[in-house]
Amino acid sequence: MNRRRKFIIGGVVIAAALGYMIYAGVTQSAVYFVTPAELQAAPVPGKAYRLGGMVVPGSLKWEPRSLDLAFTLSDGTATVPVRHKGTPPDLFGEGRGAVLEGSWTADGYFKATLIMAKHSEEYKAPHDSNQAGYRELIKTLRGEER
Amino acid sequence: MKRLWRWLIPLAAVPVLALLAYGFRVSPRDIPSPLVGRPAPVFALATLEGAPLSLASHHGKVVVLNFWASWCYPACYEEAPVLERNWRGYRDRGVVVVGVDIQDKREAALKFVGDFRLTFPIVQDLKGTVSVDYGVYGVPETFFLDRQGRIRVKHVGAVTDDVFRVTVDRLLAEASSP
Amino acid sequence: MTADLGYGMTLVALGLAVYGGVAAGVGAKTGRLALVESAQHAALGVFVLVTSCFALLTYAFLTFDFSVRYVATNTNLGTPFYYRITGVWGALEGSIILWSWMLALYTIILIVRHRVGARELYPWALATMLGILAFFLLVMTVAAPPFQRQVPVPADGRGLNPLLEDTGMITHPVALYLGFTGFTVPFAFAMAALITGRIGDTWLALTRRWTIVAWYFLSLGLLIGGWWSYHVLGWGGYWAWDPVENAAFMPWLTGTAFLHSVMIQERRRMLRLWNISLVILTFGLTLFGTFLTRSGVIASVHAFTQGSIGVLFLSFLAVVLLTALGLVAWRWEAFRSEGELDSVVSRESAFLLNNVLLVAAAFTVFFGTVFPLLSEAVRGVKVSVGAPFFNQVNIPLFLSLVFLMGVGPLIAWRRASRENLQRNFLWPVALGILAAAAAFALGVRSLLAALTFATTVFVAVTIAVDFTRATRARLRLGESILPAMGGLLLRHNRRYGGFIVHLGILIIALGVMGSHAWSVQTETTLHRGETAELAGYRFRFDGLTAVEESNHFKVIGAFTVSNGKVLGVLRPAKKFYPQEQAPIAYVDYRLGLREDLYLVLGDFARDGSQVTIKLQVNRLVSWIWIGGLVLTLGALLAILPERHKSA
Repeated sequence: MNRRRKFIIGGVVIAAALGYMIYAGVTQSAVYFVTPAELQAAPVPGKAYRLGGMVVPGSLKWEPRSLDLAFTLSDGTATVPVRHKGTPPDLFGEGRGAVLEGSWTADGYFKATLIMAKHSEEYKAPHDSNQAGYRELIKTLRGEER
Repeated sequence: MKRLWRWLIPLAAVPVLALLAYGFRVSPRDIPSPLVGRPAPVFALATLEGAPLSLASHHGKVVVLNFWASWCYPACYEEAPVLERNWRGYRDRGVVVVGVDIQDKREAALKFVGDFRLTFPIVQDLKGTVSVDYGVYGVPETFFLDRQGRIRVKHVGAVTDDVFRVTVDRLLAEASSP
Repeated sequence: MTADLGYGMTLVALGLAVYGGVAAGVGAKTGRLALVESAQHAALGVFVLVTSCFALLTYAFLTFDFSVRYVATNTNLGTPFYYRITGVWGALEGSIILWSWMLALYTIILIVRHRVGARELYPWALATMLGILAFFLLVMTVAAPPFQRQVPVPADGRGLNPLLEDTGMITHPVALYLGFTGFTVPFAFAMAALITGRIGDTWLALTRRWTIVAWYFLSLGLLIGGWWSYHVLGWGGYWAWDPVENAAFMPWLTGTAFLHSVMIQERRRMLRLWNISLVILTFGLTLFGTFLTRSGVIASVHAFTQGSIGVLFLSFLAVVLLTALGLVAWRWEAFRSEGELDSVVSRESAFLLNNVLLVAAAFTVFFGTVFPLLSEAVRGVKVSVGAPFFNQVNIPLFLSLVFLMGVGPLIAWRRASRENLQRNFLWPVALGILAAAAAFALGVRSLLAALTFATTVFVAVTIAVDFTRATRARLRLGESILPAMGGLLLRHNRRYGGFIVHLGILIIALGVMGSHAWSVQTETTLHRGETAELAGYRFRFDGLTAVEESNHFKVIGAFTVSNGKVLGVLRPAKKFYPQEQAPIAYVDYRLGLREDLYLVLGDFARDGSQVTIKLQVNRLVSWIWIGGLVLTLGALLAILPERHKSA
């Protein structure tokens, strides 16, 4: 019995330790999902958010030399100004969905540390115009070499 | 009594299964769009045939607003016959189906309409403002508007007969307030 | 025509599987061998039909048969030949066919291997396998039919997801599924054991090799996935704690636990309940994994579309869990009278702790994965936990597990005496501490890195100690050194296979630690001729070129790399597929033992004058792949048939 009790106590200790580690981990890395409307309603500076919405056409500003990316994210109701350092992923673009991770700054914009562009199975770029676009691109790039 | 404790083992699986089943309720397909319950943003565009169409003019009817594109395969191809079929069935009951073609070429859109023999009004959102107003992420997305012009349901992905009928019937059954 | 033929074959296969499962079950219950034999024939029929379906689908792919909807969605006229074959399992429906085919194959192997010699358990195991196979065939018929007619027949298909046009992406699902489906067999035997009440060692002995094989393929699948993620996706990482990745990792964790705890049952007749539960849990997790990937219940960048398939999988998972656990409860009495644990300081104890830690890690991963669901159900708020959570909780667990790798094989059974401890662990502990001190002296300041060094050296020395001691014993008997070593490996192949696998894990651990602690990265924009610097390397942008391929356009950047002397030219690229909404980035890299150079092409000016690139210098990542190779060798050694052990 004594030995069994030792093992039960050992088990409880391990479970408690695990529980504590999980609790600490969760509270430290919890990320809240919000839409632009929800964020604008009650933004908390410094809190980790995951913000989902659509990039407003015409709002995208990308400065390659300084790697500054700025755009506005909207969900149809509210908009949130966003800033990010670095190239956005390939799927990212105006008029497309995106999910950002980051925090709200006291200066009134959302600082995105991670941009995850939404990959929708149905969403597909127009067949023809893309072809024309790529042929153009090839031509201009090849022109460079001559 | 002791014999019964052992049956806790299979029962232990139930909460986990229940939690996973809960995941179906909050299906990402039924995006709880913040627009639901709000008045639908109005627009006035020309249909593919050139006639003017203003959303406000359909106030008082149940509106099924469907965002699509000719390049959206296979989902838009699946739901086109569904929309046409139900349009023909419901048009005399105070329901109108309006298609909004986004990011598309006119010829491709006309071909799509011809292939599927669509007869409901379709406009082209050339500037993209309507899609932004409605928070459209991708295609197809369908908004169901009630008779007061409020967005009631947003459906992401191909619309099925079931979804169409259940939603429209529900909206039709509501008494229209002045 | 093709679609109808394929669909018809699927239906017949489903019918046969259902019949076979029932026949085997009734045959098992009543003892009528004729029924069991009939079930065997049905199983063969299923295998032939599923293989034909697979072949038919491949044929449809190769002949551009766009009348089959799956073909139209996954290829187009530009898809290269090779990818037209491998693309068959590239999307949901194809993956179900692949899974079903593997299950059918494993069933045939089970029949061939166990039809004689496992008289009691075999029929029930066969019934279980056929029942599970029937479920997957049901999914193929109802929820994800690969043979659906496409009307009107399009002139050209949509095309394969460009990310799948890669060797890694092609082998990854195959290896992974071989692992997942492989665990079905031990589960089937566990069910047979519970039903017949023979929960002793027979079912374990029968499934030992199956377990190692399944475990190995799962490990391989995970490693290939990491490799693919690293060298294709362009974010410089190999593991993101994404829900779909976690779904494959959880059964690996419990499967590893099972691999170890069987040894305790073999030696000491203990942990029988624990073992059966672990197998049920592992199989349940494989089902959970496939449920997660296909139901869309938890958002993931990997997830396929959802539909009725999620409901089907969840229902099946519920049936499996409730039945299996119900059987455990029913047989509760039989699990009494086990050996007792004698001491905390013993091999049994080490193995038990190993199991506890692995299950704890699996629980952590599970908890973190379903946390968004949980938080929404409980508080109505959608919250997720990212990589920091998983790393924070799991790293201590994994480090402890690595430590146990050194303790377990050497510590004595039942109760380790002080003499035993000293003899086995003095050198390893001393050298481990020395290694940490040396690391510190060399400038390593990260506590994690120091601990990892200490633990890996500790484990490596224990292996060396054991091996040298055993070799020396044989040398004393007159053998010469190489035959002595070879003989050791072959005669005790399970033990030494295990040691080599542990060595592989050590190497992987060092690779993971190095990449975490010491990798650096930067992002910059360069004009032609300009140079970027990172970690002693210089990257000069030479220019952009463009190329047209059969189904895509490619833009390639040329960068000359040097670190004092010119090392070569890196050519990261971007591929533009017309049917895709965005280009796919192709990383170029220079792999090395100590570090990898990693270059991703970001944005570029249309005239090719300017380019934005992401640079990474990743340390020790190659060790992860090398560790994987070592692991493979160890697993192969362990699977070899046992030589007759002489005294």
